Amino acid sequence: MIDERTQEQAALHVLGALSETDAREFNQRLQTDPELQAYVARLSAATDALAGSVPTVEPPPQLRAKILAQVAGRQKIVSPPERKFDFLSWLSWALATGLAVLCILFNVRDTQLRKTIGDQAQQIDNLNQLAQTLQSATNDLQKTVLALQETNRLANLHIAMLNSLLADAPKAIAVSLWDNQRQDGVFVAQNLKGLPPDRDYQLWVIDGQTPVAAGVFHVEQNGAVRMNFKPTQFVKTAGQFAVTEEVKGGVASPTLKNMVLASN
Amino acid sequence: MSFCAQVGDGRCSSVFNAKLDCALTFSKKDVNDQEAQDRDIELLRQIAAGDRAAFADFYDRHSTLMFSVACRILNDPGEAQDVLQEVFVQIWEKAGRFDSRLGKASSWAVALVRNKSIDRTRASQRRTRLAESAQADQAVTTQLSPSVNETIHGSENAKLIQSAIDELPSEQRHAIELAYFSGLTHDEISTKLNEPLGTIKARIRRGLLKLRDQLEGVL
Repeated sequence: MIDERTQEQAALHVLGALSETDAREFNQRLQTDPELQAYVARLSAATDALAGSVPTVEPPPQLRAKILAQVAGRQKIVSPPERKFDFLSWLSWALATGLAVLCILFNVRDTQLRKTIGDQAQQIDNLNQLAQTLQSATNDLQKTVLALQETNRLANLHIAMLNSLLADAPKAIAVSLWDNQRQDGVFVAQNLKGLPPDRDYQLWVIDGQTPVAAGVFHVEQNGAVRMNFKPTQFVKTAGQFAVTEEVKGGVASPTLKNMVLASN
Repeated sequence: MSFCAQVGDGRCSSVFNAKLDCALTFSKKDVNDQEAQDRDIELLRQIAAGDRAAFADFYDRHSTLMFSVACRILNDPGEAQDVLQEVFVQIWEKAGRFDSRLGKASSWAVALVRNKSIDRTRASQRRTRLAESAQADQAVTTQLSPSVNETIHGSENAKLIQSAIDELPSEQRHAIELAYFSGLTHDEISTKLNEPLGTIKARIRRGLLKLRDQLEGVL
């Protein structure tokens, strides 16, 4: 239903009596309103009657030839027919426009993401370089620490030489390296007298006045031995080392009369 | 023979009644009008494609009406020739812009002439004078020459059309003619006739609706 105001505008439109602003507004509405188009088309019958009411005046015959000649001399610019409003066409264009806008947005977003990724990759490279630098520094520090530990360990090592107490094996000799911090050590002996199968040598660490058993060993004919040892209880201060001959497997307390080696 | 032809003075006293009696004549005419409109649309399509023969055909079909309207508005055959020439060049170049949903091809062509003629009168600042003189002249020329409606639609229908126009209340007809032939906007008509704008708008709307209703089936 066309309201009265629109009817008035339509009447003024077909008469060409709308102001420029009103005409622009009306034409926009006319393009998309089929009911208004039909109304205007019917109303234009009235202006056709008005136009036809004027006295007939034939144009001069030469005017026809003049106009045809003028048109013949003009380069025809074939303009496409005015597009009618077609919802599907409109929808297609709307979709295409929407897709184009989305593509632009995605492109912008893609560019932003690429820039962000580039920045982050650069940051990762920087962090990797920093990590390598730190790793190198750490390695240096670790080396330093190891060197210091080694120095410290050497400082904690107690080296003792054990001499023979036996007349029949005067060349027997041994060395004990004791790490008080780690509570273990290495014992090396040579030229010991060989023992029968039911007998073993037993190493003792003397903590103050208390002997602490540190392991048993058996010597074959060559009289040599090398072993790592660990006392059976905590040693506060390893003052001396001694070796006794004991029954197979060792004993809880050393047999002093059977002492073979002892440190000073 | 139609009722209209049998009227003694050759003029239907009531267009409304005459329409009922002339139904057979009009239905045949409607078919012819539709064919003519279809032909015009096809010609404009061909013109848009660069067909000069179609352009010449279109000229032959509508140049008289267009030239007559230009003469009526400009009251100067020389200027009317210039306008007609410009408008036909415009048609040659812009035929593709014609939209058949908004009216007939002939209406479109006449609107081009009318607008171009009004532009000329505005440019020459003599619109008001022409509007007044043209109205005075029309009475004379109408007596001397048949109307274009008569040339195109035949004397019977032309009389019906003229009768419909004549039956409009004078204030409605005057407002419509000032808008159409003198190119005055509704504001200008309101000022010229010293009437409220709403009154002018209502007069024009009612006058055109009445004319449209009277002519339904004739044009």
